[in-house]
Amino acid sequence: MGMFTRRSLIGGSMAGGLIWPWPQTSAETAVAGVTDSEIILGMSAAFSGPSRGLGIELYRGAWAYFEHVNRAGGISGRRIALKLYDDGYQPDASVNNTMQLMLEDQVFLLFGYVGTPTVTRVLPILKKFQDQDVFLFFPFTGAQPQREPPYGEFAFNLRASYAQETAGLVENFVQIGRRRIGVFYQADAYGRSGWAGVRAALAGHGERIAGEATYRRGTPFTATMRGQVELLQAAEPDAVICIGAYAACAAFARDAVDLGLRVPIANLSFVGSESMLGLLSEGREAAEAEQYTNLLVNSQVVPSYHDTSIPAVREYREFMERYNPDMPAELVTEAYTPFDYSFVSLEGFLDAKIMVEILRRLGDEPARANLERAVMSMQDFELGLGEPVTFAEDRRQGLQQVYYTVVDDGRFVTLTDWAEKFS
Amino acid sequence: MQIIKVRKLFQRTLFGVFALFGFIGISTSFLLIDTVNSYLSEEYVTNSQGIAQTIADSSVDILLNRDLSSLQSLIDQFVEVQGISYVYIRDETGEFLAHTFVPGIPEQILNSDPTDTSTVERQLPGMGEFVEVSRPILAGVAGAVHVGMDTGMIALQVQRAIGRQVYLISIVFVLGVVAAIWLVNLAARPIGEVLTYAVALARGDENEVESVEGVLGRKDEAGQLARLFAHFSRGHASASSSDGAA
Repeated sequence: MGMFTRRSLIGGSMAGGLIWPWPQTSAETAVAGVTDSEIILGMSAAFSGPSRGLGIELYRGAWAYFEHVNRAGGISGRRIALKLYDDGYQPDASVNNTMQLMLEDQVFLLFGYVGTPTVTRVLPILKKFQDQDVFLFFPFTGAQPQREPPYGEFAFNLRASYAQETAGLVENFVQIGRRRIGVFYQADAYGRSGWAGVRAALAGHGERIAGEATYRRGTPFTATMRGQVELLQAAEPDAVICIGAYAACAAFARDAVDLGLRVPIANLSFVGSESMLGLLSEGREAAEAEQYTNLLVNSQVVPSYHDTSIPAVREYREFMERYNPDMPAELVTEAYTPFDYSFVSLEGFLDAKIMVEILRRLGDEPARANLERAVMSMQDFELGLGEPVTFAEDRRQGLQQVYYTVVDDGRFVTLTDWAEKFS
Repeated sequence: MQIIKVRKLFQRTLFGVFALFGFIGISTSFLLIDTVNSYLSEEYVTNSQGIAQTIADSSVDILLNRDLSSLQSLIDQFVEVQGISYVYIRDETGEFLAHTFVPGIPEQILNSDPTDTSTVERQLPGMGEFVEVSRPILAGVAGAVHVGMDTGMIALQVQRAIGRQVYLISIVFVLGVVAAIWLVNLAARPIGEVLTYAVALARGDENEVESVEGVLGRKDEAGQLARLFAHFSRGHASASSSDGAA
């Protein structure tokens, strides 16, 4: 089947990959990643390990939209194909996958990468091969490196940044009198990015981080967070902002409740809210589960998928129901039950929607060299959120809005009144 | 007749050879332990200083851009280097801008002098013992990079290197002793042959003498001595027979 043979390199840095659907051979490729029948996008994300839910849901949401476009005839007659690799949320694997996608697979562009420690290591590769005009579109991270020099010019973001999320959380906490903010964060670039956001936001209010604790990337839900909780308890915080993945953040929330740290615990959009809620609720009666979840407040970069007054949400729900995308079976080797709807898959859906619009703007002869111009032509584009999307040289992030959600009746809903909830 | 074994003549010589080998082996081992220990320890410290300097040099632009996630990404890569246990960066005010500690920054480091960039030894509760080297960023006006090495890890590497050296020395010692015994036996054998021949002459048993007179054919000092004994013996015998005739 030509150069795109299936892979199962479990154990190496490249954990596996597949094409979805199967592409044409390279011999048919006139422009890298573009054949007469397909446009091939490359994606490296976590499909294994404790953060696999993020990669799986992001992919499912994106594929729901791509599938819709493909069934409607594709873009100028070309179907959209995704070349997938699993990096397990590990930077080295992500680097190797990127080299594979760029140099061997020759994809048209990179799409939907997951994570800050992975993306920050990939950015220098894009700079190194900048003459090939390979861009990274809509990574699932709100970190700054892909938004600022020297690497900002090689990536386009849709979601709001962690700096915006943390600033919003701090602002709201401060407004209700919770000024002593502790930070629980992943000991890597992602955690540091969020930590820096909290630090900067608190500095704006004349405050400093009250206390901090860290955990190692990949820590499972079964691990104890007693040490971290005790460190933060000693700082007597009014609230804790967590910058982590769902397994570790759920473990922290669980141990915080068990050890008597009864303060609001905020999480960023990256956490994967449904997966976190699932871990905290699993095997517990509703009343008991509520003890572990009623002080959670999660910031989101997309609106609640329960809010069907939003056109994009209605479309998302309709496509998810209609196409119900499968998980990439060859990459997902561990047990995972996908969600019908989730914030992560909604983000993937929106990423795909705007990606399709950009590809359409490339015309009948898509070329990498024209990608930036196509993106910059997006001015006040209506994505269906009520927030128009605009890109510019100094604005490489499409959306700015941050949403806040809390758990009510076993699901995340929009938070409307901070004072009432956390007074 | 069996050749008489010479046992006592080279006893002291053999003991002396053993003692000499032992002394050389032990003194060489001590010298090696000291050399390897100091060499490897210095090498680890030097490498860590190099890493700290590399981070300090690479950090300048990142710090000036206030891009702390890239800074964290940078130091995370160095913790994967063998022997490096932790890295942290403090700014000129002493604030920790990036670090690799889990679950938190140890109290001793929190309370340390942020301007001190000398090499220090730290015993961190629950973590172990470390040698910490530091390098200033922008001559210290932008803070400093601190790199901690696990001394247990260094000691393990030193022990492994020394173990290999001592193993080699022990093999050389055993081979030397075996060779010394073989050489002494080789040297003692002609003397044993002369002694056996002399005893046979003294006994006056012609058959015994005949069985060991091969030594007379030797061209070395043992052969000369044997022929001398034979000469004396013949002189004594002819004297005896002359006395009898008289």
